[in-house]
Amino acid sequence: MAYYCSRCNKYWNYQVKRCIFCGQDLLSQHSKEYRVLGYTQVNIPSKGNEKVPYYVYLIEDENNVKKLMKSTIEYNIGDRVDFELDRKSSILIGIVGIGSMGLQIAEYFLSYGFNVHLKTRNSDKIVSIYERIQKNLSKKYTSDDVRKILDRCQITTEYLDLKGCDLIIDASSEDFDIKESIFREISEIKKENAIIATNSSSISIDKLAAVTKMPEKCIGMHFFNPVRKMSLIEVIIGEKTSNDVIDTIFAVAKSIDKEPIVIRNSPGFVVNRLLLPQINEAIRLLEQNVANKESIDSAVKLGLNHPMGPFELADYIGLDICISILNELHIELESEFYKPANLLKTLVGEGKLGIKTGEGFYNYK
Amino acid sequence: MYISGVGRTKFGNLSDNLQELAYEAILNALDDSNLDINEIGAIFVSNFLSGPLNGQLHLNSMISSLIPGINIPIIRVETACASSSVAFNQAIYCLQNYSNILIVGVEKMTGVGLLPTTDAISMAGDRTYDFPNGLIFPAAYALIAQQYMLKNNINHDILELVSYINHQNSRLNPLAHFYYKEVSKEMIKNAPMIASPLNLFDCSPISDGAVAVILSKNKTSDRDVKVMSSKIATDTISLTERINLTSFIATKIASKQAYKEAQITPADLDIIEIHDCFTISELIALEDLGICGASEVSELIKNGDILRDGPFPVNTDGGLKANGHPIGATGLAQIFEIVAQLRQETEKRQVDNPEIGLAQNIGGIGGTCGITILGV
Repeated sequence: MAYYCSRCNKYWNYQVKRCIFCGQDLLSQHSKEYRVLGYTQVNIPSKGNEKVPYYVYLIEDENNVKKLMKSTIEYNIGDRVDFELDRKSSILIGIVGIGSMGLQIAEYFLSYGFNVHLKTRNSDKIVSIYERIQKNLSKKYTSDDVRKILDRCQITTEYLDLKGCDLIIDASSEDFDIKESIFREISEIKKENAIIATNSSSISIDKLAAVTKMPEKCIGMHFFNPVRKMSLIEVIIGEKTSNDVIDTIFAVAKSIDKEPIVIRNSPGFVVNRLLLPQINEAIRLLEQNVANKESIDSAVKLGLNHPMGPFELADYIGLDICISILNELHIELESEFYKPANLLKTLVGEGKLGIKTGEGFYNYK
Repeated sequence: MYISGVGRTKFGNLSDNLQELAYEAILNALDDSNLDINEIGAIFVSNFLSGPLNGQLHLNSMISSLIPGINIPIIRVETACASSSVAFNQAIYCLQNYSNILIVGVEKMTGVGLLPTTDAISMAGDRTYDFPNGLIFPAAYALIAQQYMLKNNINHDILELVSYINHQNSRLNPLAHFYYKEVSKEMIKNAPMIASPLNLFDCSPISDGAVAVILSKNKTSDRDVKVMSSKIATDTISLTERINLTSFIATKIASKQAYKEAQITPADLDIIEIHDCFTISELIALEDLGICGASEVSELIKNGDILRDGPFPVNTDGGLKANGHPIGATGLAQIFEIVAQLRQETEKRQVDNPEIGLAQNIGGIGGTCGITILGV
């Protein structure tokens, strides 16, 4: 976007309304296509550009208006690129299940220029979901930008409204029956080439894929909480997941500045398989009175350099989720080692689920 | 008008704070002159980043605290890396009202970590469109370097040579940031990449330091140096608003005006201080200042013409690369070096009988340029 005075033949990058030389109203020119004039690969981080290396491209449009564009994709001098309508924004994202993770994933994709369709079960919630997204975006963007971003967002209760989506991500609660029915419904309405992904942290992608018509289009795409801050995406590939689908998910993940890793379908994948036994063992240490919870948290933070201790993290994740993942590991891996500690069962039984209920291992009231 | 006193601190990673640095430079300049503080009518203080990096603004009042009870007019000037040559220029315009004006440039940059410093320095460029697209300062000059190298069909070797020459010069300047550092051509070649094609040795360091200069209406001693001209010019803050990416028009305009006022040509220069915040800007400046024609820059440097004993000695103090770049003091450090050279007081790095010197000090990506021409 540039502002142009046809009489004086002058351009402004900054948003100005009238020409300072002749007083004429300026034309705002939208660029259609850009050509790469030059680039640099930057290796040192700065605020807002913490992830390195990245490229900065100096690009020029058909009116010789220049601008800079940051990207992780490699282009050469002279390449024609359509940054305004980058291929990523031409991908339509569908998200099913608008809990905390679904909402965060939606906001994240929106902030990267994607069009996003959200599917919720309850029509009463549409307004409140919209308002929550608006409120969260307002922390980072101006009201004008928020309006533009929200133009790319649709909320619906009908699966049919997701039929144009290229990638549909299930972000529903960690319940096999719910996810199975979502996969079955999506399978009925989706485009032939569309990918069905699930944000599940533990449920087998093979079992979910089995209920669809195209298991090769099914994949796991496990985001971490908070989505904005955590760079990792565990990409879970099932027995039948096709290579094209894996490549597409990798490209999408990279285009939103995430680091995808490939994981064969297996209980708990990598992160939870490592994390939950640690949390469980921390609870056993507490039960055996080896150390108090504050000391165990300090030991992990200061001795292992983790940003949070196991009790803080368990409360943050939610103890109900911790127990359900441990149960899954316990059953699937057939080992007593993964059996949830008694204290964890007790707290969940008392409804003390962590931060979300105001009390877990620690009290947040 | 004359420069009747100069003083500076060592440049580098120093333990002194903003006030201590400024005070030392002011004291040294007064000691160097025949004047005492009561004869100073006004002060210009030049600084770029005391707000974001030191959390201190209202620097003119801070300077007032260093000279208690004097209560003279003091004003702060900020034009990014060109702050101090612009402060010097503005002092000249005020000199009709005072006999002597002191200009002090000061910058305290170390001790806050790399990320806040990189972020703060990027404030010299556009923060609305460019910085959100990852354009930190080295990246801006890297884009220019790429364009320049393609246009003139040169490779990184010539930039390495510029870096090497500046480091060699700094080994003769005890106040330079890298006075202590033996730098080899291999070190420069193999340095880590910062923003391709620029590596660590293409970039000037983050330095602390201060310089003070006293400007006098009348001659005060035989050591005084004549101010022949001081001109400033500006250009857009972003590279994206420029047609020519391998030349800084502000340098061309200001230098042309300065040559005219001083009634000299580039060939008359005996010593030159160039703003080599990145090695590439030294190449661009040699052309923009008219030292040589387009496409002759490589030859000029390879021939040894910019060495201390060559026809156009450049950056005898080590330049920004090796003398250091305490941003708000840099332009005055260049003036300090020219004054010292013209007075023939630089000992080991003395150029043979220089009579006229020029300093080119730029801000941002050439968005400001201050040109100073001094003579004896």
